[in-house]
Parts: sequence; C-alpha cells; structure tokens
Amino acid sequence: MTELIDRTDTAADAPVLEELSMQQAINRALRVLLAEDPDVLVFGEDVGALGGVFRVTDGLQKEFGDQRVFDTPLAESAIMGMAVGLAMNGWRPVPELQFDGFAYPAVDQIVNQVARMNYRTRGAAPMPITLRLPSFGGIQAPEHHGESLEALFAHTPGLKVAAPSDPADAYGLLLQSVRSDDPVVYMEPKARYWDRRPVRLTEPTDPIGTSRVVRPGRHATLIAWGAMVHRCLQVAELAAEDGVELEVLDLRWLKPIDAAGLAASVARTRRAVVVHEAPLTAGLGAEVAALVTEQCFRDLAAPVQRVTGFDVPYPAGPLEPQYLPTIDRILFAVQRTLEY
Amino acid sequence: MAEENVTFTLPDLGEGLVEATVLEWQVSVGDVVERNAPLVEVETTKSAVVIPSPQAGRIVELHAEEDQAVPVGDPLVTFAVQGRAPQAGIVGRVPTEEARPARRVRLKPPAD
Repeated sequence: MTELIDRTDTAADAPVLEELSMQQAINRALRVLLAEDPDVLVFGEDVGALGGVFRVTDGLQKEFGDQRVFDTPLAESAIMGMAVGLAMNGWRPVPELQFDGFAYPAVDQIVNQVARMNYRTRGAAPMPITLRLPSFGGIQAPEHHGESLEALFAHTPGLKVAAPSDPADAYGLLLQSVRSDDPVVYMEPKARYWDRRPVRLTEPTDPIGTSRVVRPGRHATLIAWGAMVHRCLQVAELAAEDGVELEVLDLRWLKPIDAAGLAASVARTRRAVVVHEAPLTAGLGAEVAALVTEQCFRDLAAPVQRVTGFDVPYPAGPLEPQYLPTIDRILFAVQRTLEY
Repeated sequence: MAEENVTFTLPDLGEGLVEATVLEWQVSVGDVVERNAPLVEVETTKSAVVIPSPQAGRIVELHAEEDQAVPVGDPLVTFAVQGRAPQAGIVGRVPTEEARPARRVRLKPPAD
C-alpha cells in the first residue's frame, strides 16, 4: 500500500523561512545539485577561486573541490564546447558565461551543437547542459555587460529557456533546469541578484513550462519575466491607487511558453500588456502577443500592448534608465488598453 | 551602518600624463555628493577637465589647494561612505530601491 505523506507538514523536513538574496538562493541550488549528483560540474570564468563576479558560486569550489567547480580560460566558445564534450561523456555540465553580452562568441556552440546534438544523434547524445547566463540590464554596467537575448534562444529549436524573477523561484527553476536532460538557458536577472527577502527554499512542484500569477487582478494582465516582473509589481501597486487592479503574470519559462496560462489570465482580464527589456522588433513580446491574440481574440477588449526596450543597441550604463521600460511607459500602455 | 573613509587618487587623465593642476574645487569639505557629480576641475598638459565623483559620499578631506600640481596616483579627495553595501562585483552597481517609485501617468478604471 502506498503511504501518502505530506512532506511539507513534517516538522523535521519543513523548509525554514530564511532571508536570502537571489545570489544566495542560486548558490544553494547549485550546492544541492552538486551534492545530489556526482556528474554535475560547475565551470566558467572566475566561478572557482573567486566565487563568481556576482558571488553566485561563492564557496562551491572549497566545498566540492576543483575537479567539480573550476575556472576556465576567458573563451566563451571553449566553455560551451567543453560542455558539449562533457555532456557526450555522461557529465551534467552547468557552465556559466559571465555576462549575457559575452554569449555571442559561444552562439555557434549553443545553436549548432548544444541545441542540435540530441536531434543529430537521434537521442544517443542528449545535452543535459544548463547554461547559467547573468542576463538583462539594470546594473548600469558597461557595453556588452547587459543584453536581453531570450528571443534568440527561444527561437532556437532544442533549447529550453528559463528566467526567474525572485529568490525562491530562482532556486526551484535551477533545480528543474539542471535535472532536465534537455539543454536549458537559465537567464539570471542581474538587477535582482541582491533582491533579499524571506523565502522558503522548496522543491519545485510546477512542471517545466508553467507560468505563475504573482499578483491577481481583474482589469488587465501585465506579462513579464526576469527583472521586469518586479517593475510590473511596482506598476500594479501604483495602478491600485487609481482603482485599477492589474494582474501580474511571471512567464518565467520563455521556452516552452505557457500558452494555457496566458490564455487563462487574459480571458479573465480581457487586456494584456507584455513588458520586456529587449528591443521591440522580433522580441519575445511579439510571440506572447500572438499567443494571446490567437487564444483570446474574442475576449480581448483591446489589442495587446508591448512595452519594451527601443530598437537600438543595448546602451551602456548611464543611458539604461532611459532605455528600460519605465513605470510611466507601462502605465501609459495600460491606459491605452483601458480606454481602447 | 558605520562610516568608513575611502580615498580617491588622481587617475591618469590621458595617456601617460604624470600630473594635473587643480583649477577649481567644485565641492567643499562636508558636502555630500552623488556618484558622477562634478568634483574638481583640473588642468593637464592636454586640456582642462572636470573629474566626476567616482562614488557617493561625504567629503572629509581635499588633498590639494587650488593651483597646486598633483602627481598621478596621489590622494585627491577622501570620502566618508556608509558601511559597504553589497558589491556588484567587478562591473556595474547594485540597483537602489525606491520605497515609492515616482509616476506621472494616472489611470482611469474602465467602465466595465
């Protein structure tokens, strides 16, 4: 007879409430993964001795040794190429590319090898690689240190793409990503690394590819991922002062996209505004808008609005506040849907 | 949080310049400055240039008089800064959180 135990209620196992930043939550997930699976390897520029430029891999080399957590040469293409070879030999690599802007030299490996190997070998060589990619802007870094590459990776068949927005979800999504036998690009929102709050680190329960409503509302749905979720929550707070109740949907999996979750929310609210940092043209917002429109055409009270970065190269630090979707730009888009 | 003193030294403002002459201080001891606020105008053999503040803090000491030449690498100004906030690592800065973000756009709830 199967005994059903609600593990969350047993005092000894109940996850404790801890005050953790997203950096620390990701670090804890990496610890769990390294401990549970001897095939997991963590490597990249400065992830070993230094503990990562964002301190995400702090202490891991000391705890698990320099055979499992190690520094690489400053060569992104080699980092991903090494991940491919390790994966083919049975390892479960978790490489880091230090900044998303540095991913471009590795795109050949990511697109031509990582994403295709499972297809090419008819499943003989799966690529259980999770690429940790500090992503997006918001920390006023120099050029090439802030990008928003989700559309590029989501457009590449064979890859899964995740972008968490808070510490607890960063923990759960990373566990799922690394345990998945498919390659995942795990985009860590740099601007939220220092987001510190009381969290319970729990095993993920939602399947890969599910979104979540982080704030319920009835007048319109704000759809976002990564750091823009926080901004949308700020917007929803301000909108409430005007009597407008905004729902905020954290997409969190950008491939596969939770089409059903989008439809369920927008069918209720009848209005949708999608917010992202990447430029407008051919951004993931277009995909979201198409999915919403296809499924909710008759329910929609207004066309889906997109609030995005501009169609310019991602600017260096001082111009970032002008480039990223501002609270007013999002509010203005909401108003356009309300008065349509 | 405890304050600590951080001294900013004169950087090389060109390629291989050895010194700069202070023309005009744009801050005084006791001023609280933001990052990138104008700090001091100096003149090198190439040009006159305003050096922005490398960080936020309270000015506790100016290490040179006006018209005085300062060798590259010598102390220029000392700030008192609040105990170290979490560092951004090698590049970038930790975003600051506004308790209540500013807004201009107001919303009108829909009729339905």
